[in-house]
Amino acid sequence: MRRVLARTNPLALMWIGVAALLGSFAVRDLPSAVAAATGWALAGLLVLPSWRYPVACLALCGVSAGLVAYSAWRLGNPDHAPVAALRILVLAWPGAVVVAFVDLSDLGDELAQRLHLPDRPVAAFVASLQRVSGFGVTLQQVLRARRVRGAGPHGPASAVRHAGSVTFAMLAAALRDAGRTSIAMDARGFATATRRTWAQGVPWTVRDTAVVVVATLLALVPVVARVLT
Amino acid sequence: MRVDPGERVMLLGPSGAGKSTLLHALVGALGTTLSGDLTGTVEVGGVLGFVPQAPGDAVVAERIGRDVAFGPENRALARPEIWARVDRALADVGLTYGREHPTSALSGGELQRLALAGALAVEPDVLLLDEPTSMLDPDHAASVREAVRRTVAARGATLLVVEHRMGPWLDLVDRVLVLGRDGALLADVSPDVLVSDHGEAMGRLGLWMPGLPAPTPLEVDPRLVAPASRATSVVAQDLVVDLTSRSMRGVARTRALDGVHARLDPGRLAAVTGPSGAGKSTLLAALGGLLVPTSGTVSPSRHRLRSRELAAQVGWASQVPEHGFVAATVREEVALTAGRTGRTVDVDALLDVVSLGALASTHPFRLSGGEQRRVSMLTAVAHRPEVVLLDEPTVGQDRDTWAAVVGLALAAAGEGAVVAAATHDADVVDLAAERVEVAP
Repeated sequence: MRRVLARTNPLALMWIGVAALLGSFAVRDLPSAVAAATGWALAGLLVLPSWRYPVACLALCGVSAGLVAYSAWRLGNPDHAPVAALRILVLAWPGAVVVAFVDLSDLGDELAQRLHLPDRPVAAFVASLQRVSGFGVTLQQVLRARRVRGAGPHGPASAVRHAGSVTFAMLAAALRDAGRTSIAMDARGFATATRRTWAQGVPWTVRDTAVVVVATLLALVPVVARVLT
Repeated sequence: MRVDPGERVMLLGPSGAGKSTLLHALVGALGTTLSGDLTGTVEVGGVLGFVPQAPGDAVVAERIGRDVAFGPENRALARPEIWARVDRALADVGLTYGREHPTSALSGGELQRLALAGALAVEPDVLLLDEPTSMLDPDHAASVREAVRRTVAARGATLLVVEHRMGPWLDLVDRVLVLGRDGALLADVSPDVLVSDHGEAMGRLGLWMPGLPAPTPLEVDPRLVAPASRATSVVAQDLVVDLTSRSMRGVARTRALDGVHARLDPGRLAAVTGPSGAGKSTLLAALGGLLVPTSGTVSPSRHRLRSRELAAQVGWASQVPEHGFVAATVREEVALTAGRTGRTVDVDALLDVVSLGALASTHPFRLSGGEQRRVSMLTAVAHRPEVVLLDEPTVGQDRDTWAAVVGLALAAAGEGAVVAAATHDADVVDLAAERVEVAP
């Protein structure tokens, strides 16, 4: 059960995010908000293989949720504050979590072959996202080099400067990386490819259909809750 | 300059002569992706295959199968043909992990072979190779050359290869172009004529002419690199390091080191050797306290030291020099760690040793690959640490700069530092007092 998402078609995974977004529009009162949030949380408990990343997503979404709740409270609508906060969590958290399960090559295959988006932009999009995932290795090297060169953080103020410096280094690395990768891509026929084929097909399984159905049902939970209450 | 279809050309020149720039011109990157002043024109016909100097630049997919498939996909080939080419190219370069292996788990040498596989898979009419074997052990380098030979022979492809260690390539090419330090074309001859008539002149230019003995390491003023503190041996026992690539789709663990024992003593240059992908870079990082071992011990243990404490003891030249650059000029880069550790440094003298005095005010990112590696070398020794760890320090160096780089390492060792270099360079291995062999 906990391997389901790792084996799910990228489009089905993206539907989870879209369904959560659409479902959040139906969150209008406390019962529908609690029902929707509970539904997604239970689904997460059943299928997520680990909790470190989902909890990190929850924390980040929680910042937005907290700010929206605070705004509602400051604007004289304290009863609506928890509803607004839960709506933000329902809107953002499921999509933020499932995006980590998307296989980039498979996503490119789906976008080009099933959705028939233009080949070249899709290939470029997938290659650029792949470079983003490689930033982890670059970041490790940048941090390692700075630490051994005495340029690591050594206090709160220097930690802020260090973060800024590392961010700038990563930005510079990303820009230089992009240029060199585009040279390498063009030299492998990308520059002149007016049409291209794809090395893998786009299988759709019963599991993918089931994921879409469950996500749709979860999106409908706040609607049902409002009808029942 | 004109290269006809089917010609096999080697492009030579000292470090910084513009060899990579010429290849970039041929792939059409100058004036588009790479900015600068450009005059003249370049015309290239046929399908291109290009292996860039920095091994990671060509990676476009998360798994090696899809990465190699990128070129055949661009040529709109049918799926069975794509995978036949992918499997053939991977076998040709000796990458045996299988199509699903993550590209993020490959070493520098393995990335070099992956880039070549990507170029071979398009079955190019023109194959451009920028130091394709510089980070490979002799066996893998030989298999890569054989793969290039087969591809070129099978298709009658044009070959243009840049490689400092020209010897093993000379019987594969039928023409040699030599660039001078100013980027001008100095010679356009056959390999036989190059060796028989131009050997000494090319040796003086710094080229690695076959038959010439390795240069004598430069005598470096020991005060420039003498350790500021007394060094002690670095000992690794039963060292295990797992590199983890974590995502929600799963955790990919690659065992980089498995039960390694190593000992580095003060006053001796140790060569860390082994096939590409064996874990040499990982071992250096573990010995220097740059990563936390999965199990086993490193003594003295430095991985908990704060940044400046570590910097005072350890100097490290990364395999990818750009990742270590912090400053806006070469001069500031060389002085930085000494400033952080409260030590004095004679930047001008050090820059002169490695022939970078004229580039002191240049941004490190604007240097050639070989020049960047020399700056990285200086950043590892300039603050006079007791442990100096060098990752492929001689890649991309001509004879003169090689002598300077090796001279710095030997001088540091001579003054009592622990010095280790991960390398495939047989001349460095010959000079080393110790050899640490890392098994794959």
